[in-house]
Amino acid sequence: MIDVKSRISSFFIFNSNFGPKEGEELKRILFFHPSQPGPDARKMQVGLCEAVVKFMSTFSSEPCEALQTQTKRYIFYQPEKGYWMVLVVRIPYTTKALSAIGESKGEVIEPSVMHDLLVSSYKMFRMFRGPFKDISCSEIYDTCEQFFTPYISSRNLTNDISDIIQGINYLPLDKNSFFKVMCFIDLLEINYPDFKCVSFVFNDQLIWNSLSKDDMLTLYQYLVQTLLPKEVEKEIQGGAVTAAQRLGRFISPPEGIQIKEDLERLAKLHLMREDDSETREYYLIVYRTLSATVCFTVDVNTNLQLEAFKSLDAFIGPQLSNIASAINEQCTIHALQTAQLATSEHKFMYFNRLNLAFKTSPPINKLHPSMAIKPEVLSIISEIHEGRKSLGNYGEVIIKTPDEYWITGKSSNEREFYVIIQEKNANLKEIADEVKRICEAQMKGIFFYPM
Amino acid sequence: MARFRLKDSDEYYLHLSDQPKRFDADSPVTNVFFDDTNGQVFTVRSGGIAGVTVTSMDETKCTSFQMEDRGPIISIKLSLDQKILAIQRSQDNPNATVEFINFKDLAPTNVEYSHTCKWKNARILGFVWPRVNEIAFITDHGIELLQVLPEKKQLKNLKSSSFSGAWFSWCAQSSIVLLAGNNGALLQPFSLSNSTITKLQKLELDSSRPVVERDVFILRLCEATWCAVFRHGNCAATAAPGPTERYKWGAGLGLVGSLATVSRDNFVLEASSSQTSQVFDILEESKVENNTVIHIPIVAGNIMKPAVIGEQMCPMYSGTWVVFQPDYIIDARLGCLWRVHLSLTGLAHSVPKEEIPKLVAALLRRTNGKETIYRILNQLVSNAGSYLVELSKAFDEINSIYRRWADMEVARNTAGQAEGARSPHCFRVVLSQPEMCGHVLQAHADHGHIVQVVTAYIASLSRHDMVVQHPVGELCVRTLVTHNASGRLRALVRRGGLGDSRPLACQLLSLGHLDKAAAQLALDMMWRLKAYEEILEVLLSWDEPVGAAGAARQAGAGTWTALPPRKLLAAAQQHARRHSRPAAFVAVYHALVARNERTRGSPHFLKGEQCDSYIEYYKQLTMEQ
Repeated sequence: MIDVKSRISSFFIFNSNFGPKEGEELKRILFFHPSQPGPDARKMQVGLCEAVVKFMSTFSSEPCEALQTQTKRYIFYQPEKGYWMVLVVRIPYTTKALSAIGESKGEVIEPSVMHDLLVSSYKMFRMFRGPFKDISCSEIYDTCEQFFTPYISSRNLTNDISDIIQGINYLPLDKNSFFKVMCFIDLLEINYPDFKCVSFVFNDQLIWNSLSKDDMLTLYQYLVQTLLPKEVEKEIQGGAVTAAQRLGRFISPPEGIQIKEDLERLAKLHLMREDDSETREYYLIVYRTLSATVCFTVDVNTNLQLEAFKSLDAFIGPQLSNIASAINEQCTIHALQTAQLATSEHKFMYFNRLNLAFKTSPPINKLHPSMAIKPEVLSIISEIHEGRKSLGNYGEVIIKTPDEYWITGKSSNEREFYVIIQEKNANLKEIADEVKRICEAQMKGIFFYPM
Repeated sequence: MARFRLKDSDEYYLHLSDQPKRFDADSPVTNVFFDDTNGQVFTVRSGGIAGVTVTSMDETKCTSFQMEDRGPIISIKLSLDQKILAIQRSQDNPNATVEFINFKDLAPTNVEYSHTCKWKNARILGFVWPRVNEIAFITDHGIELLQVLPEKKQLKNLKSSSFSGAWFSWCAQSSIVLLAGNNGALLQPFSLSNSTITKLQKLELDSSRPVVERDVFILRLCEATWCAVFRHGNCAATAAPGPTERYKWGAGLGLVGSLATVSRDNFVLEASSSQTSQVFDILEESKVENNTVIHIPIVAGNIMKPAVIGEQMCPMYSGTWVVFQPDYIIDARLGCLWRVHLSLTGLAHSVPKEEIPKLVAALLRRTNGKETIYRILNQLVSNAGSYLVELSKAFDEINSIYRRWADMEVARNTAGQAEGARSPHCFRVVLSQPEMCGHVLQAHADHGHIVQVVTAYIASLSRHDMVVQHPVGELCVRTLVTHNASGRLRALVRRGGLGDSRPLACQLLSLGHLDKAAAQLALDMMWRLKAYEEILEVLLSWDEPVGAAGAARQAGAGTWTALPPRKLLAAAQQHARRHSRPAAFVAVYHALVARNERTRGSPHFLKGEQCDSYIEYYKQLTMEQ
């Protein structure tokens, strides 16, 4: 929905407590993107936001969320007390003259999507660098610069439904293959008690996770959006993958683990495991064989030994490649089975708030861009998703747009289900029946409160 | 190599009876005979004048008496009911005769008679008592089966069968006599059961390699009778059970010298003059090479536990030992009768780690193997950190038997008795899911690796396509929740690893207050189980009256029409008041009115349904609108 490069006007983080005196305003700005505007322009923008936030606090105890002007939309997010993250997006606007003759306003950017972007960027920051408050004043500017500049420019949001709802794509897997994965993890953790397997990803689909719900999403996004695409690219080029590495290799740190110095390059993450009660620091180790990627955490206080990693490599490599091929086989069978199912031309979306499972109808064929979902429709879904209060724990809404789109949103038992149907001359009953049919076909065995 | 040692297990897996039965040793004036049918040792002093002592492991079969010496005895045996003594004397006698003495209370009466074989010039090789009051003379001309009528002091011929044999071998458990003809190249079995003689299919051996008497045994193993033939050259033993199957099993372990076998259930124990014993499991699925099934010993060869006689150590594997089926060992020089005992725990005394699953598999084929398996498993679970792989394989062994047993049960129940007549010998030990829970898993509920162990067990059940039964499911949920592994529990439920069942759904539901996702899964499961009425109750308790009304309608016409409206209306009213959502009440009310209209033709509630206050409330709500 957001073309980051052209649409994000600016993205900045400030804390008013960092330079309370006049003339120290620049100190308050922890990070500013893009880098072009001079200090004065920055001060102006941040100053405006500071003022708005401060002003709004007199009306409500809740922090201010957004500000819209004729040309820009500001989204505020205060992840930690005093620290504000602000995303500013240009919005297309029309002059009075144009709107009078019925010209469209152009794409509207959903505040919720912008807000999600802020939240996920903060979570990613916290995972890799820890909370803002734990970083000293002297380091915070550099730390933010190092993290957010590449992060913001790498965000590549496309115009797709998957950006409205941030979820995790789980791999459907038969129970025996799943047990294989489980038993592999158990055996590994028993033999290497320092290493805890926190996630098992196949291609870009999750099979196993043992992180808390929030961190699971962030780590999953890091893997799927940042780490794995790079690795896949390397594998396609073939250069980095020598025959010796074919069985499996460490991909984080990126150069693998061959010598003692590599151990110092291990990423340190702030994570909360499922059985933890608080966030702690862990080394992150990622191992990959064929399409299977396994992430381990090791407590930062552990004395790391190169031998342990070598033996781990020897242990995992052959087993994981067996499992990966077995899963691959299952996936092929599964893919054949689903291909035989009559594919519905209607699009649907499913989201489970409790395990963040997210599933959509098969992705749109790239050759038929006309099949892509219109931004208006997306924004309606986004509104239903965001304004879940309107549906409550349990409810269903059917919305018809002027251009013959029927959008159905269902909420029940912490789950959401959306169907988009484009059909002329349909009536409400037909749509409701069709939705019911799709729901039964696609969501077998899942209980939606009956109407 | 890591070895597994079962705690408190016997050091030797084979041992002789603690106290041997003593009898007078063989000497010039004393002759010792053994009857393997009754397990009795006869010591005949001075031809019987100085007394005959009968010794047996069974105290009720011991006695002593005196009799006249009428010449050297070749064979002496009491009948199965201990009421007739049969004696075969020296072959010098031109007529092949067997003498009989009637017994009463284990003492001879003065009633004596004799019977001569029907074939002239025949030589009696021996005689056996296949049944009470039935005796078979085995001669070099054939077998003669006779009925003994002790009161009339005579014998009646029942059946006879001609065969020219040189020696024979007898198996009391299966009543099969094997006669060797053609200089030991042709073995002909006869079955003497049912008061008749049935000629079984003959066994022809390579005529260039005939066998001698001491190398042929008839074994009763796994409810089948086997003829064991020892081949010394390559230390292989051939066995042919029944008429058609023919196996060879070999142990290429370089055993030299005489071999003796003792058999129990499915196990064959071989003792050799190299002073070690080995245990083979003939039911073990082993690879076949050149038509030969190669069995390797279950565990490494070991010596028998040294036995003592009185205060003195007894020479083991002595050359004076004679081994009889099924498990007797006699040392006539010392005058000792032992039985060989196999200690199952002793088998696990020192096993290479990798062979634990194999041992468990072997124990599963032992009638009384269960206890030992429990002990092994319990010890493995306590050390799950080092034995997870072996444990998982042992579970596989247990569950593959369990699966086959379950299949057989199903087949028997569906096809009736005709199919089920097959002998159950494959299933000596079946460890069911409740048993595994009760004897193994439950005891380790606090063990650090119990989560992994339970997962391994369920994984094994799943690999064998077994449905997880309630005790295991319940234990699994309890274990995972108490060990902070509820994420794993949810994943297992989502992936179908635990299967759907009402008890499981209820258990998950009860976890709902700690873990919302568990309750979500519980409802899904109830939905799949079509437990609409339970869903209705759950939704009512969750303050979701509209959903509850929907669930009631899904439950089918019966539930929906019989549903007391008060229950729903009360919940809806409470919900409407609490959340100020009158629409919820109105919706439920309308649905019930529509139901009344359809079922009774009138929208009104019945008097007995006591809905007046809700009708009031409805009016009040609609008025406001």
